[in-house]
Amino acid sequence: MTLIDGINKLFAYLPDSLLAIIVTNIILIFGFMFGKLALYKFENKVKFMALYTVFISVVMVLYFISIIWFSLSNLYGGNAVYAAIFPIFLFLPFIIGHFASYERIHFYTNVQILTLIISLLLAVSFV
Amino acid sequence: MVQSLDFEFVQENERAVLLFHGMTGSPFEMKKLGKALFDAGFDVYCYCLPGHGTSPISIKTVRWEDWYQDSTSHYRDLTKKYKEVYLGGLCMGAVLALAIASEYKDVKGILSLSTTLFLDGWTIPWYNFLMPLGLHTILRYYYSFPEREPYGLKNEALRKKVAALQKKNTVALDNYPMSCIYELVKMSRVAQKNMHKVKSPVLLMHAKDDDLTSPKSAEFVYKNISSSIREYIELKDSYHLVVMDNEREFVFAKCIEFLNRISEYNLEETGVCV
Repeated sequence: MTLIDGINKLFAYLPDSLLAIIVTNIILIFGFMFGKLALYKFENKVKFMALYTVFISVVMVLYFISIIWFSLSNLYGGNAVYAAIFPIFLFLPFIIGHFASYERIHFYTNVQILTLIISLLLAVSFV
Repeated sequence: MVQSLDFEFVQENERAVLLFHGMTGSPFEMKKLGKALFDAGFDVYCYCLPGHGTSPISIKTVRWEDWYQDSTSHYRDLTKKYKEVYLGGLCMGAVLALAIASEYKDVKGILSLSTTLFLDGWTIPWYNFLMPLGLHTILRYYYSFPEREPYGLKNEALRKKVAALQKKNTVALDNYPMSCIYELVKMSRVAQKNMHKVKSPVLLMHAKDDDLTSPKSAEFVYKNISSSIREYIELKDSYHLVVMDNEREFVFAKCIEFLNRISEYNLEETGVCV
């Protein structure tokens, strides 16, 4: 069995909503990691940073949708614990954003990445 | 931006106007209005708001409370020296002037030009619907809304000059950092909440085709202030920077006419020659 076959089987096995959470999560983790570097190197390239932020915002919207989708499907499936835990990750980016400041942006970006990793691990634990 | 762009036109008049520039701008954009007011018998003051006029980074580190405290401090200083103190502002400066007037009842009058309570002009990008997400998460420190044509100006010759100046970041930035917009939004909310407390006479001037903020902002102010004297003039041949654009002379004349009308030290009526 090749790696691609394995991935295909995993994709077929996972519920679509969980797959969406995992994919958007991974993109966001790498996106924010890149953002930290970009802030050093491309801060003055306004257009590039604008496009980057729009991209991350769109992925974040998809991430939120997948969380709602996953929670609702778990709620209907009788798995109340997952249905209750995942919505917390809807609010975390806004809570982090509330406390963030430009001077400590790298720290808060790390916190954001950490919460994404936790939600990814939680999603993977469901497999 | 390194040089001090503040200006003071002082000739020991009885009345003074404190002007506030717009978001990411500088006193440079208010200079012509300041000169016109000075020529009409007002002492005029305009200072760089905190975070402006130094480096593009510093604007990301300030909060709206810094703008408010700095401006009220200048206002209080002037009230000790002058019998009449007026406030005037462009864009974010207009919101600031209205916010101050809602707290300080002794503000003699307000010039509110291109008031920016809502960012709903026609140059706002298509992805504006994502703005709440950008504003309330850490993304606001990553994103800057690139300033684009027409740079708030309908006058094409001026537009070229301003575009060149913005590229150098000498008198205004070539972008609006999202963190700065976030602070403006917070200040606008406070100003909207306290709008009914504004009792000073207000002159509102707003371009019909404002590229950054539609006349909805000026209409909101007009409807919600408690001032017995309020006037709203819609400009037909300007964009956002009404103090620099095609109708600037008309704007200056209307501002002077309004202030003279409400002033007890009207030099034209008393026959004093300046």
